[in-house]
This record gives sequence, structure tokens and C-alpha cells, in this order.
Amino acid sequence: MKKAIVLALAVVAVSVAAASAQGSQTAAARYAASGFNCSKTITLPFVTPITGGAGFLGTEQSTWARLAIAQIAPQLHLKVKLSLGDTPVEQGPAPAQALAQKYVGDPSVLIVLGPSTSGAVAASSKTYFQAKLAHISPSATRTDLTQGPVAQREATPAFFRVVPGDYIQGPSDAMFMINHLHVKKVVIMDFQEPYSTGLAAAVDATLKAHGVSTIRMSAPNTTTDYSAYVTKVPSDADIVFFPTQKPGDANTFAQQLIEQGKKAKVFGGDGSNDPSQFKVAGSYVSNFAPDITGIKSDAAVIAAWKKANPGKQVGSFGPPSYGATQVALNAISIACKAGHGFATRASVFHSVKKVRIKNWILGGSFRFSTKTNDPLNAKFYIFQIQSNGSYKLVG
Amino acid sequence: MDTFIQLTIDALTLGSVYALIALGYTLVYGVLKLLNFAHGDVFMVGSFAGFGTFQVLGGASPKVPLWLFLTLVTLAAMAVCAALGVAIERFAYRPLRDAPRIAPLISALGVSFFLSNSMQLLFGAQPRNYDTFDIHNAVLYTSGVDIGNVHMPLLRIITIAAALVLMVALWFLVNRTRTGKAMRATSFDREAASMMGIDIDRVIVFTFVLGSALAGAAGVFFALRVPTTVSIGFVAGLKGFTAAVIGGIGSIPGAMAGGIILGCAESYSQGYISTKWSDLIVFSILVAFMIFRPQGLLGRADIRKV
Amino acid sequence: MSDSTPHSSHIPAEGPAVGQDEWVARHAERRIMREGLLGTVEERLRLVPWWAWLVLFLAAFSLLPVFEHSGYVRRVAFDTVLYMLLALGLNVVVGWGGLLDLGYVAFYGIGAYAYAILDSTKFGYHLPTLVSVPLVVVIGAVAGLLLGLPSRRLSGDYLAIVTLFFLQLFQTITTNGDSAFGHDLTGGPNGILNVDPFHLFGHDLAVEHGGVFAVSYLYVALGFFAVVFVALRFVNESRTGRAWRSLREDPLAAEAMGMPVNWLKLMSFSFGAAVAALTGTLFAALNASVFPLTFYFVLLITVYTMVILGGAGSQAGVVAGALIIGPLLELLRDASKSRVIFFVTLVGALALASRRSRAMALVALSTLVLGFVVHAIAGAIHSDWVAGEHQPGFAGFADHWVVAPAHLASWITPTTYLGVIAAALLCTLLRGLPRLVALVPTLYLGAFVWENVMLAKPEPARFIVLGLILICLMILRPNGLLGERRVEIV
Repeated sequence: MKKAIVLALAVVAVSVAAASAQGSQTAAARYAASGFNCSKTITLPFVTPITGGAGFLGTEQSTWARLAIAQIAPQLHLKVKLSLGDTPVEQGPAPAQALAQKYVGDPSVLIVLGPSTSGAVAASSKTYFQAKLAHISPSATRTDLTQGPVAQREATPAFFRVVPGDYIQGPSDAMFMINHLHVKKVVIMDFQEPYSTGLAAAVDATLKAHGVSTIRMSAPNTTTDYSAYVTKVPSDADIVFFPTQKPGDANTFAQQLIEQGKKAKVFGGDGSNDPSQFKVAGSYVSNFAPDITGIKSDAAVIAAWKKANPGKQVGSFGPPSYGATQVALNAISIACKAGHGFATRASVFHSVKKVRIKNWILGGSFRFSTKTNDPLNAKFYIFQIQSNGSYKLVG
Repeated sequence: MDTFIQLTIDALTLGSVYALIALGYTLVYGVLKLLNFAHGDVFMVGSFAGFGTFQVLGGASPKVPLWLFLTLVTLAAMAVCAALGVAIERFAYRPLRDAPRIAPLISALGVSFFLSNSMQLLFGAQPRNYDTFDIHNAVLYTSGVDIGNVHMPLLRIITIAAALVLMVALWFLVNRTRTGKAMRATSFDREAASMMGIDIDRVIVFTFVLGSALAGAAGVFFALRVPTTVSIGFVAGLKGFTAAVIGGIGSIPGAMAGGIILGCAESYSQGYISTKWSDLIVFSILVAFMIFRPQGLLGRADIRKV
Repeated sequence: MSDSTPHSSHIPAEGPAVGQDEWVARHAERRIMREGLLGTVEERLRLVPWWAWLVLFLAAFSLLPVFEHSGYVRRVAFDTVLYMLLALGLNVVVGWGGLLDLGYVAFYGIGAYAYAILDSTKFGYHLPTLVSVPLVVVIGAVAGLLLGLPSRRLSGDYLAIVTLFFLQLFQTITTNGDSAFGHDLTGGPNGILNVDPFHLFGHDLAVEHGGVFAVSYLYVALGFFAVVFVALRFVNESRTGRAWRSLREDPLAAEAMGMPVNWLKLMSFSFGAAVAALTGTLFAALNASVFPLTFYFVLLITVYTMVILGGAGSQAGVVAGALIIGPLLELLRDASKSRVIFFVTLVGALALASRRSRAMALVALSTLVLGFVVHAIAGAIHSDWVAGEHQPGFAGFADHWVVAPAHLASWITPTTYLGVIAAALLCTLLRGLPRLVALVPTLYLGAFVWENVMLAKPEPARFIVLGLILICLMILRPNGLLGERRVEIV
């Protein structure tokens, strides 16, 4: 039997060697200095959760990124290959860091899409920055990534995003509640993870500054049965702010509020935006994009997406990924033109902010703010769920 | 007072689900002396099987009368889980029946991992919602019994009642039938039972069928009210463990009692003490039990003969 | 088993010596040696002392960064060394003490968090590395002792539950620790950031150079590994090690012999926890951050698979297990590499099985033929059916063998996956000729499922592979690669 073991180990060793021999990389010094030939195939990695609890995010986003590459890359005379890097949220930041190392070491990577989750950005931004790799996220909205004192910011200057941060979402949601819903008492929940705690804090601060009484509750991220929390909602509360990333939970909470006869309505953040899962009438949802099916200039894109993804619905996380890919490809194109057919990571990095897009998929036009790496003049849109389950724009 | 009633209703609903899962653990432990770590994932598969049947029978607009609809969904989940339980026993535990105790435990860990990741591979990570709210205009939520100011919806009544029916049926099966007697004999002393002519393999298969079917039913009852995902198995398994151990692992009334106690502990600590630390409190109760009374409330103290 | 002849022994010419037991002295005679060259080689290798192997291994590993400049590969190598350390620690508890500790990665987390608290901007402490690392090891040992205390009276199953709950407890505390009575202790789900790197000999060990993983940490990790390996080896050869062995084999007899059974259990917990805590400091320093979710069930199963695969109880074994599983997990993220691994494993397994029975060679051949035939037919029916993603380079060898459709209908995934599982289980039930016949389509279907279903979603596929390895190991070879076969005395 020992012979078999030795043989087995040898087999494994050979297999490992063979498999890894394909991915041999050259010295670090080389890629920073020399340029990449733009006529060769560029690898565009997309770091997003494809499996795990937030897997629906990456699955949706990747389809739009693919569509963008298929439509835009030929127009810009670029050969681009999408490479998906999976960061399941259950495993914390480690996958993001390992993937960052992998892409830094791959010379055909000039720019990175994502990471889609704020936690992954915080974990890997330094690595990308040191390698001069710009990373454009379609959905990492945490405030601390780009706001606050420079030393405390969680992301580096190499981080860009095409959607506004929670520092806009929080106050705008709160102001809507104050101005349109005339709230007196609001229950604010968080789920002990970065997205919700940040948003909850922002909403809490704004509401308190305007004299609204707030009650804070905190549930573990793995909670599925909210009965006890619903019991603690006072009967005179007007709104329960519920910044979950699982639309099903917002739905459950709203149902249980009705079940227990409470008058409060659920107000969800952009994480709960999913008409197929969150459909209790009377609830509110905020999102960084209006429903793009209502934007005329997007009709062709939507049709192409539906053809490539039969039977699926247009969600809210997908279109910003299309936009992020568009920005990335345009940045590469600008850098390639300026470098006469050669681009380096540094040149692509510096080209990102020069990108201007006229018919932005989320409506209007797109450019980055000069002061931060966030979009200029972005706003959040607020919807109310109607009795037939559709989302109506109310603010 | 209203809060107390509401919390008690929550406790009973939660507790009945935990009791059903705990029963599965207890049954298997009694007969095989094995902690079936994969049980939580069988529960998860049950909730998905119920979801599939739900969709096939019409989803939020059922094609059959409501009571038949819910019964069919539950029975389908129970059947799928029973088959799954039998398969797991046959292929992952039976070859290890005479191996050191650590071996089937580790195999169970492997099965649990395999099951939850296979379900994720096949069905993806997004939550599945039974949409019971939309059935007949929320009749399951709005109609029901009013206790004082507190409304107890029909759905919870059905869940608690169905769990009770299953537990009574189980009690009947274990205490009043021949196979049940064989099961009790096997759990008492396996070798003596086989010498008495009892077919151990059949008894064990029967045990797994019962335990897994109960887990499947628990899966459906759980998912009727909240969305289910592929990752609920681990935590549900832990809670089921806790309930079984509190009540006394190996004892069937113990598992039922343990489930209710666990549901109450969770609900009251969430309601009265703090929602953040309720998990900690529950686990501390468990650890206290393990240290001071490892046989649980109703279990027998394990006397090892040398 | 291959042929065997008793080997000539080393009986001293002048007869048995005084004070030396003749039976013990002649033990070499009773070892069954293999014939021929392999037998001589094996016997020579057996004479090489364990520390020589260690030195050789360390030298080979240290030379890796010389040949491989990619930051990614070096990072994977570092992670593998971390896994090796974790496996060594778990080996103490499971392999030597015989205790099923399901909360092991909580100690890993305790070490990481302790280092993060002592050396970061969180509370402003910046203890020198040479103070904080030993301190964290001590903290880990104490934590192991504390966990062991309530577990003294518990037997195998109950111990497993309590330790599993300890893991869950750790997870709950770290996730909610940002508002413990108004104080932020653990940073909650956001974790602790800006953890200091190691500061040795007056220099900060930078984590990255230009974004690429710095090699110095790999060498520090190897250093830790050498120290831990040697230390544990000495502990195992001492009285404590022998006492552990007796405890593991038969606790009752050990107690009857006067072994301090409870104290031994505590010691094994403590040692394991100390090693895990040490590894935690490395992890925290390199990643410059700690988060609660890393130290949870998935990592636990991974480390357990390494230990079981390598052989619980054998240090060299668990290191080998970590060496195999660590890079395997990383390689399985990539579709083309996964395909290579699958086929090499398949061919290797078939080759091994063919040595035992000629029939298996026939099975291998028929599967090969079946593959080409089916591929040709599928391609003839509809070119779309074989137009799927073709792997580049070396991995393209199986493009004409396995069917890879361009578009997979949604019902194919669950049907073929469940189908291959059912077929494999059926093969275990059959015997003789029906089994061989059933194996052929099963193997081909397995290749199809791997290619189209599992490679489409590498994350759960990796863990499915782990789960399968665990199950098959326990059934077929519970002692792993280099462990000893144990018989439990009941």
C-alpha cells in the first residue's frame, strides 16, 4: 500500500505542477514599467459574490458585464475577456485578498471591475493601489470608502464607483421620510454587517437632527424569523428602516408587521430592491437607479440583455455593472490611444476620471466628481410598492 | 402582557420546529449512538422540496383546496427527506457501523458539507419564498384567533397543530407498534436486540425514515413563514442539537420538551433582554446543561459498564 | 500486497546482549520487506532520520520563491504553510489526544484577534512583535485550557457538541463585540483593520512590495513551522506523548494505570490551541485585518480534511495533507486547471486500480472509447452540442472526448448531477461484472458533470470535493495516507 501512496503523491505532484505551470508569471518589476499591447486580449476581472448568501448579486451583475463587453469592446477595437472572481460573503475578506494578488500578478489585467461588496473593497484596495490597478465598483456604496479624513478612508485613490455612496442614500432617505411621510417615530434596524450599520447610522443621524425620535434595533445577519423584533416595534411607529441585503427578509418583516397589526411600514435600502421578492404593498424602497425599462435610450440594451438571458427579469444591480464596464473599457481605450497602441496600468488609472459618457444607462450623462472618485450629482430614487407589486417612483 | 402573549406565540411556533428537528437527532442517537450532523441539511432539503411542490401545485394561487395544498406540500417534503435520510444512512454510515466512534461523526460532517454545497450548486444562493402571504389574499395571516389585543394568525395555528399531530403520531409509532418496540430495544442494547432476532438494519432504516421525515416537515413549517436558503442547515442543526441535549438526548419526550424550552428561551431573551445577545444566552444555557447535567432534563444518566 | 520475504536481521554476532530483550532486538526481522530495488530503497529511506527530512523539506520550500516570482503563487504557498501549522495543531488534539475538537478554528481566531487588539490602531497598543507573539501563544494556551475545563467529563460525542458550540459562541461574540456594554471590543462585523505587520530586528516586515506579496512572510512562516514541528515532535516522544497515546487507545485502561486522564486532555487542548493562536498572529499580520467570518465552519472542515487525509497522529502525514489540499483548493478556482486535476486524478485512480485487476484496465479503455464515440455522435447531431468553452493550452486535450455544449438547458444540471450520484452509489452496491459494466457510463457521466456543472460554479464545487474526500476517506481508508490503522477497544 505504501507504494500506492508514493505513486499517488507523485501523481498529485505532477498534476499540481502541470496545472500551475500554465499560470507561470514573470517578475513584478516587468509589468509596471512596460506597456501592454492593446491589440492583444485584455483580461477584465470582475470581483463579485457569485455564490454564497449574496450570490444573486454577482450572478446578475456578471450577465450585464458580459453584455457590455460584447457590445462595447468591438466598438473600441479591443479584445476583452471577462474573468469572474468569486467572493462569497460568508468567507469574509480572504477571497478578495487572494484574488487581488492573483490579478496583480497577471500582466494582461489593466483594470479591475468591482469588488462589488464594500467589505471586499476595504480588504483589497491597498493591494490594487500599490500595483496601480484602478478598480471600479458598481455596487460598493459604503460611505467610509471614499469619505472622511484621508487616513481613515477604507479605500484608496485607485477605487472608483459608478453609484452614489450611502452618505447620499442615508440622508436622502431620511429627508424623504421627514418631508413626504412626516414621520414622528422611526425604528431603525441594522444587521451587524458593514452595509446596514453604515446606512442605519446615517439615517439615524439625519432623523435625530430634525427632531424625529428613533429606536435602534440590531439583528444578527443570519436571522430569518423576525417575530421578536416585530413584537418590539411600538404600535405608534410610522416607519421601520430596514437596510437589508436580502429582499426576502424585508418582505417577511413587512408581512409580520401586518400579521401583528402594527401600522409601521417597511422602508428598505437599495439592497432590498427586488420586485420579485419584496412585494408587500405600501412599503418603500430606495435605489440608486430608476427603473431603466422606463428610459428610452436603454431600449436596445435591454432587448439585447433579454435575448441573452431568456426568462430573467431586469434587476437593479445589473445596469450599474454595465455602466462600470463601459467606464472601464473607455478608460482602456483612452489610455491605448494616448500611448499609441500601448497601455500600462498607471496610464489606465489616470484615464478613468477622463471618461465621459453621454447616454448613461441609468439616465442622463455620466462623469466622475472632480473631488472624489464618486459620480457627479448622483441621487437616490425612492419607490413605493403598489398593490399589484410594481414599484412606483415617488421621490 | 400583550408582549408576553405575542412572545409566547412566537416561542411555541419556533419551539415546534426545533422540537421536530430535535426528535430526528434523538431518534438516531438513541439507536446508533451517532450525532447526525447532516440532519440540519436534511431539514434544508425538506424546505426546498416543499418549495418545489408548492410551485408545481400552483404557487400563490393553488389549484387545490388550501388544506389539501398544505398537506401535500408537507407530505412531499417528508417523502423526499425520508429517501435522502435512507440514502445517507446506507452509504455514509452503514459501512462505518463498526468503526471507531469518531469515524461516522467525521463522515457526517462530510455529508453535511456535501449536501449544503450540492444544493447551492444546483439551486443557487438566493432565498426561496413560499409566498404564503399572497394565498387567497393573505387569509393565512389575517384570519385567526384573537387573544386579548394579540392576533394569532391561522398560519401559526396550523404550524403548531401540525407539529403536535406529528409528535403524537411519532409517540404512537414508537410506543404502540412492534417496530417501535424493536427501535426502543435496539437503542437500549443493540447486541442483545440482534440476538433476540430483531433485524437491526431494518430498524435503523426505519429510524432514519422517521427522523428525516420529521426534519422535512419541520423544513416546510419553517419555510411557510420565512424565506429559505441553502445555508440554514448549519444553524438549524445547532439549534436542534441544543434542544435535544437540553431535553435529554435519547429521550423522545425530552426532545419535545427541549424544543419548546429552546423556543421560549430564544423568544423571551430576544424580547426582554436583548436581540443581539439572545444567541449567546441560549448557548450559555446549553453549556451550563452540558457541564452540570449532561443527560438533560429527561434523559438517563449514561452509566458505562466496564 | 506484493511479494514479501523476511529480511535478514541485525542480531549481534556475540548473541543477545545483557539487558536487551531479544524479541525487541529482532523486530526488524518481523517487518515484511518488499522485494528488489523498491524494497532496498524503502529500507534505506527508513534509516534517514526525521530531522533530515524536515531540513530537506524546508530547503525545498524555501527555494520556491527563487523559481516562482508571481505574488499569487507565493501567497498560495504562504497560505499552505498556515494550513500546515493549523494541521499540526489539530493533529495534537485529534491525532494524539483522540478528542474530536470541532471548535479548533476558534483558537485560530482568538490568536488573530488577540494580536490585532495588541498591535493595531484599534486601542492604540503597539506592542513589539517579540512581546506580542509569545503573549498571544500564552493566551491561546490558556483559552484551550479554559475550553478543556468543562469538557473533562464529556465523552466523544458530547465533547464534539460543546466544542462546536464554542465555535458558534466565538462567532457570536466577535460579530457582536462592537457594542458589548457600550464598548467596541472586537470591531463587530467590520473587524479590526490596520493591524501592524511584524517588526523584527528593527525592521517592519512590509506586507507587499508594489502590490505583490512580500516573500519575507513566507520565510517567517516557515520558521514558525520548523519550530512548531520540532517542539511537537519532542513533546510526542516524551512521557506526555506516550501518555497521550495510551489515552487515545483506551481511556479506561489509561486511567486504571494511573494516568492523569483529565490533565492530559487539558494539555492536548492547550497545545493545539497554542499552535492555532500562533498561526493566528501570522494571519493577522499578513492580512493587516481580521474579520469574524474567516474563522467558521468552512475553515474547520478544510483543516479536518487535511488532517484526516494525511493521517491523524502522524505529523508528516498532516503536513502532506495540507500540502495536497491547500493548493488543490486554490487550483480548483480556475476552470482549466480544475479540468487538468480531474483528469489526472481519474487516470491516476484507474491506473492504480488496473494494477490490481486487469478488468479495470478494460474499464478505462472502454470509457475512453465511449467518450470519443459519444462526442462524435453529439457533434454530428448538432454542432452546438459540442461547441462549449474550449480550454486553452494544455487543458485542451480532452476537447474531443468530453461533451461540452454551448448552452446548457436548465434541467440538465440537476438531472445529470443527481444522475451521476445515483450511478456512483449504484456502482458501490453492485459486484463483479455488472459493477464493471456500470462503471463505464458512470465515469463518462462524471466527466460530463465535472466539465459542465461543477466548473460553472467553482466555489461550491471545491467544497463538494472536500466533503466527498472526507466521506470516502472515512469509509475506505480512515487512517489517511500516513496514519496508523486504529482499532477502538470498546
